[in-house]
Amino acid sequence: MRRLITSLRIFVSGAWLSYIALFHWTHPASYIASKIVMPIASMLFFLYLGMSATGHDTAQFYIVGNALQIVAVSAIYGVTMTVSRERNMGTLIYLIGSPANRLAIFMGRAFFNILDGLLGVVIGFIVGGFIGLDLTSANLPGLAITILISSISTCGLGLMLGSISLTALNIMFVNNTFFFLLLVFSGANLQLDKMPAWIQSISKWLPLTRSIQSARILINGAPLAEVSLLLASEFAIGLTYALAGFIFFRWFEFQARKRGTLEAF
Amino acid sequence: MLSKLRVVWTVFYLYLKQIAIDGFIIFTVIIQPLLVALLAIYMLRDTEGFQAIYVIVGSALTGLWSGTLFFNSFNVQAERWSGCLENIVGSPTHLQTVVLGKALANITISLSSMIFSYPIAAFLFGFKLTIAHPSLFIVSLILTILALMSLGLVIAPIFSLNPGNILWVNAFEFPMYIVGGFLFPVLMLPVWTTPISYILSPYWAARALHATSSGNASLNEVFISWGLIVFLSLIYLYISSWLFRVLLQKSKEKATLGLQ
Repeated sequence: MRRLITSLRIFVSGAWLSYIALFHWTHPASYIASKIVMPIASMLFFLYLGMSATGHDTAQFYIVGNALQIVAVSAIYGVTMTVSRERNMGTLIYLIGSPANRLAIFMGRAFFNILDGLLGVVIGFIVGGFIGLDLTSANLPGLAITILISSISTCGLGLMLGSISLTALNIMFVNNTFFFLLLVFSGANLQLDKMPAWIQSISKWLPLTRSIQSARILINGAPLAEVSLLLASEFAIGLTYALAGFIFFRWFEFQARKRGTLEAF
Repeated sequence: MLSKLRVVWTVFYLYLKQIAIDGFIIFTVIIQPLLVALLAIYMLRDTEGFQAIYVIVGSALTGLWSGTLFFNSFNVQAERWSGCLENIVGSPTHLQTVVLGKALANITISLSSMIFSYPIAAFLFGFKLTIAHPSLFIVSLILTILALMSLGLVIAPIFSLNPGNILWVNAFEFPMYIVGGFLFPVLMLPVWTTPISYILSPYWAARALHATSSGNASLNEVFISWGLIVFLSLIYLYISSWLFRVLLQKSKEKATLGLQ
């Protein structure tokens, strides 16, 4: 019991401290620029690009897709950098040297980013409300659950990328590439059923794809049961990425201890 | 004058070698425009009057702008971080001359976005890509370089005047894609955004490049775009000189040249 409470304390304090340290987020300008202006501007760009192709009537399709895509900002950049900066800032050695529960440390890095991702999507939907999003017939509780699951599953991918970042020299290259791959393959801007098979195959293995699909169904008032299978598989995908990331983290720790390369770049 | 040109060339050559292997730069000028082109082609290909060259030029412009924004915003800061800023300012060469060399290197590497977007449409989708007016397109491209280089010279001191300014850099990437009319006409946007587009040289560069590559505008319109690119670039260069003076004066007064 005592061990569990200690792990829980490490989870919460580690989660909070790593979050506030991220990106100098104690400075509001950085948060506003990276977490509000950039994703909203990205949403508007793809909305207008989409509307130039398919007309104003399809605005809802692009707003929902790109609003959900906002979770990727916290999940990809936020989570990855909370993990990778342990190494860059020289704190990884102390973390690895401590007897703290590794799972609590690792999963804690995603916790506040999941909540932050939720906030980002809500802001996206609020802005969307001014430019054509209609939520009058939406299943709002179902939509809230979908957003939560999308944030969790995308943070799972972020944890995996974070683990990779411990061995990569330029993690921003990996982060940026995955962020844009999600933009292309998650269906945020494309009707996946009309896309070539190779695009559909890739999208099946990515988080966000099923959340975006679910959100579009729930916006039209469908019951949660109709998308439960989609959401369950979305959650499972996120969990798989997170576990893969944790296994990689432990492998990295093992190799770094064995070879004395914990701080090597 | 010759010694200034020698400095510009040396900075250009050294900086080009340095950034050509940078992962962030490779992403910004190659991977990102490629993915934008891929996405835009799939989004727009079924529209009436679709022209692949429009998407290629538009996607390349996103790479050019992202390159201009990110590289130039860190141009002076990077010297500060590496401890070279004090030495540069202390030398007889003006800081703006050094930054000009870097801006030229940035724009040269950013131009590769135009080359790398091309195979996506040509090989992956099998579109036949033809430039309607090749000679006018080349002039437009040269003027685009002038437009982005002069804007880059404004960006560099702005993001260095105050250490907090650099935090805002991410906020400027997509808004320019929108008001610059890179991949869709600005007529779709609310009317109040039109004056913003008009005072930005990348908007006129996009108009000139699209008009000469797609051939869907009159020669008169192309000339107007060229004229406005030159006019706005001269204004930007004037503003840039003033900003560099303010930056140096402020840094010397407050002794913040080496401040990280």
